[in-house]
Amino acid sequence: MKAALLKRNEFYLLLVIVVFAAAITIVNPAFLTIENLFDLIRSSSGMAILAVGFFLVLLSGGIDISFPAVAIVAQYITVNAIISLGIDNLALAFAIAIAIGLAFGAVNAFFISVFRIPTLIVTLGTMNIFHGAMLEFVGTKAINAGQMPNCFKTFGLVNILSLPRGDGTFYGLSVFFLIILAVILATWVILRFTVLGRVIYAMGGNPEAVKRSGFNLVRLQFFIYCYVGLLASVMGIMHASLISYSNATYIINSELLHVIAAVILGGASILGGTGTLTGTLLGVVMISILEKNLVMLGLSSFWQQFFVGLIIVLGVSITHLQKRLRERI
Amino acid sequence: MADAFLEARGISKAYEGVQALRDVSLSIGRGEIHCLVGENGSGKSTLIKIIGGVVEPDQGVVVIGGRPHGHLAAIDAIRQGIQIIYQDLSLYPNLSVAENISFNQFVERRTGFVSWKEMRAIAERGLAEIGERIDLEESVQNLSVAKRQIVAITRSLTQNARLIIMDEPTSAITREDVDHLFSVIARLKAKGVSTLFISHKLNEIFQIAEVVTILRDGRKVGDFPTAELDDAKLTYLMTGQRIQYTPYKAPARTSVPLLEVRGLSRRGHFREVSFSLWPGEVLGLTGLIGSGRTELALALFGLNPPDSGQILLNGKQARIRSPEDAGRLGIGYLPEDRLTQGLFIGQSIGDNIVVTVLKKLLGALGLLDPARRRKTEKRWLEELAIKAPSARVRAWSLSGGNQQRVVLAKWLATDPKVFILDGPTIGIDIASKRNIHEIIRALAQRGIAIIIISDEIPEILHNCNRVLVMREGRLEQEIQEVSAVGEAELLAVVGGRQGNGTS
Repeated sequence: MKAALLKRNEFYLLLVIVVFAAAITIVNPAFLTIENLFDLIRSSSGMAILAVGFFLVLLSGGIDISFPAVAIVAQYITVNAIISLGIDNLALAFAIAIAIGLAFGAVNAFFISVFRIPTLIVTLGTMNIFHGAMLEFVGTKAINAGQMPNCFKTFGLVNILSLPRGDGTFYGLSVFFLIILAVILATWVILRFTVLGRVIYAMGGNPEAVKRSGFNLVRLQFFIYCYVGLLASVMGIMHASLISYSNATYIINSELLHVIAAVILGGASILGGTGTLTGTLLGVVMISILEKNLVMLGLSSFWQQFFVGLIIVLGVSITHLQKRLRERI
Repeated sequence: MADAFLEARGISKAYEGVQALRDVSLSIGRGEIHCLVGENGSGKSTLIKIIGGVVEPDQGVVVIGGRPHGHLAAIDAIRQGIQIIYQDLSLYPNLSVAENISFNQFVERRTGFVSWKEMRAIAERGLAEIGERIDLEESVQNLSVAKRQIVAITRSLTQNARLIIMDEPTSAITREDVDHLFSVIARLKAKGVSTLFISHKLNEIFQIAEVVTILRDGRKVGDFPTAELDDAKLTYLMTGQRIQYTPYKAPARTSVPLLEVRGLSRRGHFREVSFSLWPGEVLGLTGLIGSGRTELALALFGLNPPDSGQILLNGKQARIRSPEDAGRLGIGYLPEDRLTQGLFIGQSIGDNIVVTVLKKLLGALGLLDPARRRKTEKRWLEELAIKAPSARVRAWSLSGGNQQRVVLAKWLATDPKVFILDGPTIGIDIASKRNIHEIIRALAQRGIAIIIISDEIPEILHNCNRVLVMREGRLEQEIQEVSAVGEAELLAVVGGRQGNGTS
């Protein structure tokens, strides 16, 4: 059992996180507090949801880089729609956003499964189609806190647990925590206990063999890319609620590389077929801490960009090296 | 054949006007071990695919268990118990043994959920049925090819296979593993499961098959009980030509050997190996996988430098620490598979030939000198008698045999004096093999010293004038007169079974 633990990538990642957190705590004792932990959960739950989706695609041997575009398009259209409809309802907002996310996922799946175009190329294209079309047809004007419908603002402030600070004010655990918990649980069940989930793993290992087994690959691709679209649209709503602001160019530049870095850091192979949900979530934790706390260690924020790039290149190099070593045996 | 499990009757199939199969019939009895042989392009793969329902025949019918199937779909074939194990095995390298074995069953069931407990139970039962033991939790990518085969066979079994079709199952595994595989096939037979396998290796066919069906140019030559066949007859029936081997005679030795190895050792690889090699010789180097033969060859090529010992070229001590050193000293090494895979198929023959020597063809300003390039291309086209209208023809347009000559030309353009070929004919059919053997002889006759590393005893016996047998890192025996040794005898030396009974 011990040996199995030492073999796992997750164990070492956890070790790095612990060491890193300890280092930050020495510099800034305020880091290791429940309040800061709650804050971290609230602000990084969006990234976690995107990462789960990206992980699923990577596992199947594909890659989807259109998810930040799906997230921002779903968010921006939904916010605008809620304003112009005048129905300030969170359920409606989710319904609109999810419909958009699923539709975009289906478009990706269509080109990938029917025309068999490489997934990176398809999503590189659709990412620009979705975002470009929105900027042209819906608009570019940012929606600030004053115009933001109430349903978003209150949703961003709902806590499922409140604790008092020393001065009598309260801080709490955001409702986002429940959403991310639900997403993790659902994804875990799918990957672990359904044929669909096992086929996703199998496809990352040997797509030709999956085809020979008689499994319907087209349906599988539709599931995968629609699932990612769904998660991205949910993240879009959470993001708008978190900052009470919707800007047509947000998310798209900031999240893509962070999410990729988190998933790769979590041990998922860029070649498909290997990786765990636990690893992905640890990767998200690591990148989130990195994102917010490098400054505390006295490093300029440019280092964050540097590290994210480094993690991606090193992570992918290690995966390829392992594969080469294996094939030599 | 009242007891036939499967019959294919009058099968014909054409692809884009090319007749792949013409009125071929095949009958496989219950529990029968049946071998399908034929050269590349003789229609074996097409026949297998038709039996498995993957390809639909133009004419003919497949009868399974007495019931004719006019249109046999792949899924029907599987339900009737026909399982094809392709050469790539169709396994999932990233998944566990248990999951690989039971995966298809869960896909078939369409309940939507998997049960890990049941998965392990299915795998355990399947492995137990053929008396095998493999760690169920191990990831398939960490298994040897032989073990992976067992996993693939077990998977077929758990899907109620009545006939397991294997496409060249022995091409990538060691002789010991082949023996093991055959014992598994024998156990399948005892359970009434039939096996149809394709093989190029004649000795294996004789070892295991009960009935041999021979195809040539899409037609069936006939079905033969194995007892009625021998090497020469089978080869004749497959190729339509009588192939006779005359043992290779090396020219008289020069006073100083071209290559001399003295006490060469490398920890864990080989120990105290000494031998000499003269110009014009074809030296066989054989032994089981792990005996150190490939490691030794790599040492001569600078890829696996020895810890101690000397290598002498023309009597002078040579220092070979890298392939560049080896190349400069005139030692060439052709790795396994290169004769079939070492070709840039979309490029011209000329491009293929000069690719190894581009540096030598540079003229002024460090650019390629077209005249020198043409000269090199022309020289090798002529020396190896490559049949092509010009050096500008694309490599894919050549016949298999000519393609192999181009690959050889590519390596020979570096002008080696010692040329090491590792497994030169692995996975190649008889006629092409013959072709390569002829080229090797021609090279030796031009004074190049050749070392052939091979698992196949007949290949060694027919082509070499001298044989070195390695075992556990040591030179076990040197056979000076190959013509005086029989196949069984050499096999015994390789396996270390001579002298001390059967152990």
